[in-house]
Amino acid sequence: MVKKALLFTLFSTACLCAQTGIYEKNCIPCHEDMAVKIDKFFYRYLLKYSSEMEVKNAMTKYLKNPKTENSILVDGLINRFGVKKKTTLNDAQLQEALDTYWDQYKIFDKLK
Amino acid sequence: MLALKSWDINLRSREKKTLRSFLLLYAFLALLILAFVAFMYYGLERDLMLQNQREALSNLTNEQIARLKSLHVNFEKEKIYPRDERFNSAIYDSSLKQIFSTLSTKKVNLYEDIYLKNDHIYFIKELESYYLGARYIILEVDAPPSWNTKVYRKLLLYGAIIFGTLVIIGYFLLNLLLRPMKDTIALLDRFIKDTTHELNTPVNTILSNIEMIELERLDESLLKKIKRIAIASKTISNLYDDLTYLVLSHQIFSQDVQVELSELIQERLEYFSLLFESKKIEISTSLVEGIYLNIDRKKMAKLLDNILSNAIKYNKIGGSIAIHLSEHCIEIKDSGRGIEKSKIHQVFERYMRFDRSVGGFGIGLSIVANIAKEYALHVKIDSVLEEGTTVRISW
Repeated sequence: MVKKALLFTLFSTACLCAQTGIYEKNCIPCHEDMAVKIDKFFYRYLLKYSSEMEVKNAMTKYLKNPKTENSILVDGLINRFGVKKKTTLNDAQLQEALDTYWDQYKIFDKLK
Repeated sequence: MLALKSWDINLRSREKKTLRSFLLLYAFLALLILAFVAFMYYGLERDLMLQNQREALSNLTNEQIARLKSLHVNFEKEKIYPRDERFNSAIYDSSLKQIFSTLSTKKVNLYEDIYLKNDHIYFIKELESYYLGARYIILEVDAPPSWNTKVYRKLLLYGAIIFGTLVIIGYFLLNLLLRPMKDTIALLDRFIKDTTHELNTPVNTILSNIEMIELERLDESLLKKIKRIAIASKTISNLYDDLTYLVLSHQIFSQDVQVELSELIQERLEYFSLLFESKKIEISTSLVEGIYLNIDRKKMAKLLDNILSNAIKYNKIGGSIAIHLSEHCIEIKDSGRGIEKSKIHQVFERYMRFDRSVGGFGIGLSIVANIAKEYALHVKIDSVLEEGTTVRISW
């Protein structure tokens, strides 16, 4: 009985951890409540910066120092939602979050 | 003799050789230049064809960009790359990484804006907005059928006309340059012909008059003198024949007839009999009768004369000459001083002489080689120093 309880605890912890990646924990919660979903931001970046490296660089630059000038959003949306707060993540965490974001929405291997 | 030797009797054939070499070099250079011009012309025609396709391809690209734009907006709903039966296409991001491709090749040159490869035209355009992250779009269409066939046909036709014209101009140009040399040769030619002609009449007069003398009635001392005169005259006559052959060989037409060889050999031995006698050379013959060769009689006689003349000239006093005629060869063996083994391959070269103790121009065996070549006869010389030389003519 004790053994079963122990296994159940371990499984529950593993599931909880899987959902608590940096991207899921730090990006999704805020974007979920926004009128413009997170994927739309990705496609806007893609439209302007094309390659993986340039997209990630632009995102990093904005997240570290968010300003109206380097935002990807159009003026109307900026006026409505404003500019986000500066990220609290360190470089490694930010990079990991962006990698997850890129892998989730990238175009490569998805076209048929 | 020196004057004769320095004058190259074979200048006509050398002239032809020079003409051929010059024309070959000239033709090669002309072809090289023509190939370069053809290459440039082909490039221009290809560019012209590509320019004609440019507008149509640009319109097709715009259509494809519009489809990409639509796909970009609705990417979450449909992920099917837009295809068109009129062309294949591919998209690349700004780091030149392929996003998707329906092209027939994987290697594309994104630095060109339009190019032709393997009968396909590739049109590259940079997008203003990078739909789906695509910075470059490439369209691939088939090149217009047989556009290059027309170009090749034109190139071949005009190339052949220009090349032919250049060769004709080259030929006339060379003739113009060679004219002073030709005039000099003609002058020398005339001189040697006149000289040999003037030589022939007195020599023949001497020889025919000697033949008319009734030798039996002469005393021994006078007979000896007459024989010496006859030998000297025959030597001059032989020299005259050789020179005539060399000067006029290109003008002499062969009159081939069936020549009975044993009869001809006997005749030539008779002709040289006085020379044999003067050097006390013993002649032995083994001649099979009824062997015929289809050959110019005078040329065959000249061939035999030159071999016999050498066999006498380089023989020792009291030596021997053996002549053997069989079905497929004539063999003339002398007991002369012989030729060094290392020099045997040079004996047919004109003016080549190994022994200057006796007279001659070094043209005898050269004439033999020429006649043998004309009638596909095989001449083989075997020689042992101080023992003798064997000349074998086979067919």
